[in-house]
Amino acid sequence: MTKREPPTPNPSPKMREGLQDPNADFAKSKRGESDKVHWARRLGEALRYGALTIVLILFMVPVYGAIVTAFKTQAEVSAGGYWTIPRSFASENFARVMDPDAGNLGLYLGNSLLLTIPASLLSIGLGTLAGYGLGKYRFRGDGLLFIFIVAGMFLPPQIALIPVFRLMNDIGLYDTLWAVIIVHTAFGIPICTLVMRNFFQVVPNALREAALIDGANEYSIFLRIMLPLTLPALAVLATLQFTWIWNDFLWPFILTQKAESRTIMVGILNLTGQYTVDWGGQAAASLIGSLPTLFIFIFFQRYFIKGLTLGAVKG
Amino acid sequence: MLRRHPWIFPASFLLLPLLVYFTFVILPTLNSLFYSFTDWVGYGTDYQFIGLANFEKIFSDRLFSNAIRNTAIWLGLAMTVPTLLGLALALGLQGKRAINTVYKSLFYLPICLSPVIIGIIWVWLYSPKLGIVNIFLRTIGLGHLATAWLANPNTALFAVFVAWAWQQTGLNMVIFLAGLTSVPAPLVEAAKVDGANTWQTLRKVIIPMLRPSTVVVLALTAINALKSFEIIWVMTRGGPFNKSDTLAVFMYSESFRKFKMGYGSSAAVILFAMTLIIIFLYFRQTARADELYD
Repeated sequence: MTKREPPTPNPSPKMREGLQDPNADFAKSKRGESDKVHWARRLGEALRYGALTIVLILFMVPVYGAIVTAFKTQAEVSAGGYWTIPRSFASENFARVMDPDAGNLGLYLGNSLLLTIPASLLSIGLGTLAGYGLGKYRFRGDGLLFIFIVAGMFLPPQIALIPVFRLMNDIGLYDTLWAVIIVHTAFGIPICTLVMRNFFQVVPNALREAALIDGANEYSIFLRIMLPLTLPALAVLATLQFTWIWNDFLWPFILTQKAESRTIMVGILNLTGQYTVDWGGQAAASLIGSLPTLFIFIFFQRYFIKGLTLGAVKG
Repeated sequence: MLRRHPWIFPASFLLLPLLVYFTFVILPTLNSLFYSFTDWVGYGTDYQFIGLANFEKIFSDRLFSNAIRNTAIWLGLAMTVPTLLGLALALGLQGKRAINTVYKSLFYLPICLSPVIIGIIWVWLYSPKLGIVNIFLRTIGLGHLATAWLANPNTALFAVFVAWAWQQTGLNMVIFLAGLTSVPAPLVEAAKVDGANTWQTLRKVIIPMLRPSTVVVLALTAINALKSFEIIWVMTRGGPFNKSDTLAVFMYSESFRKFKMGYGSSAAVILFAMTLIIIFLYFRQTARADELYD
């Protein structure tokens, strides 16, 4: 805020100058102020980024710990703890956890891919159908139906745990990846429907009308005109669904038992039970298990973050 | 598009997704309600309909009231700590500067990690002898505070919470940052020109404008907090002495460890009811926010 100068009985040269050219004085005082403001702002920014950097360093400690521990030999860990930079970048931890006779993570990684890819595709496919039905057609009860589907986003999985466990037993899919694929497909429908409906709602109707006039039917409009437009929305959902399903632990933990149908997260937790003091192995397993989602995070972060806000703000 | 369509077209698009959703989401949810009135043990088809007996029993179960207490603490912490931290980070890092983009990415990073992996990593951080938390405390001369964070009944729940908040903070930050882009810059400038300092601008202009995002953050955090099971299971299994046993963990142990599926279902129903209350409050708040800003 500009302080007003106290009135002086004898006009100073500056003021006289100012009277001749009011703008000159204004410009000068503004420049003078802005120097002060400039430095205050500089200082404020330095403090702000200083604080942010400290918080960031604290935030990154767990990540740093996991990375350096993964590359240390057992001997080095027990001699010096986990927090020093590894003396020689050893790959033995990775080899051990991937070895079919030890950690066997290769099998679990494969299982997780066999689960995550179909479940993501199916939930996105079904969500696209539902989103189109709700976004481009008006019918009695459409709003209610939309709320009914989106409400599923908020359901705690615990409420369905026991009945789904029973259902999968009854239809003979318990302890297969199919059980987990089906559950993730179904539980992914709400978020996929939400994103796709919001997407289809903003696609101009003129496109549809024009195609109708050209003699296209409803289904060829959907397949030939609408679907190609949805690529960005599909990318958003693909990153989200892949990340959630890959990282999920509860459903495969409940629905599978034998090693042949074990997913990576269940496998990693098993590993920590077997090798309680094998910190290097656990760290290597954690890195391996996070690689696919880290890859998505690094290369498709824009879509991932967009999906998070879409799901959150509009939901 | 206000024109109504023949029902056959929307129906043909909606039928399959609705069928899958109904069979594997809605039906199990309703089924849980049914099981909560039975004494089913988890195998076989032999069970009795026992009315409200599970609920009568659960409200006098000391493990249940312990789980409710822990859930309340967990919920209280969850609604405050990651919310405030996420807001502070979003305010500090808004804008498109290169350094902000880098910082933001790093703060987001925990979001893409599995709770299982986060749990495993934090178990080492808390390790009594070699964990960085205790090493740090000893280095700065507060060695007497060092403890076995996850084995100490007084600290276990809080220690697990910190690990959980590590991920939730980034998520809240994403939502607050999205909300901040809708705060008009001229409004903030105007407040400054009128002589408001940073704190006043924040309290009187930015935070009120962020109300819709705040409602979303609080609702999502509460729901996430209620259902969080994995990270607690990985880090403490609800221990020591059930000190980190929340409702979600209680529900799992009763159903799948003790094979009291009917009883566990009643815990799930209570958890579900708590979620419904949050959803109800959330929709009421968003309705009110719509009135305010429309």
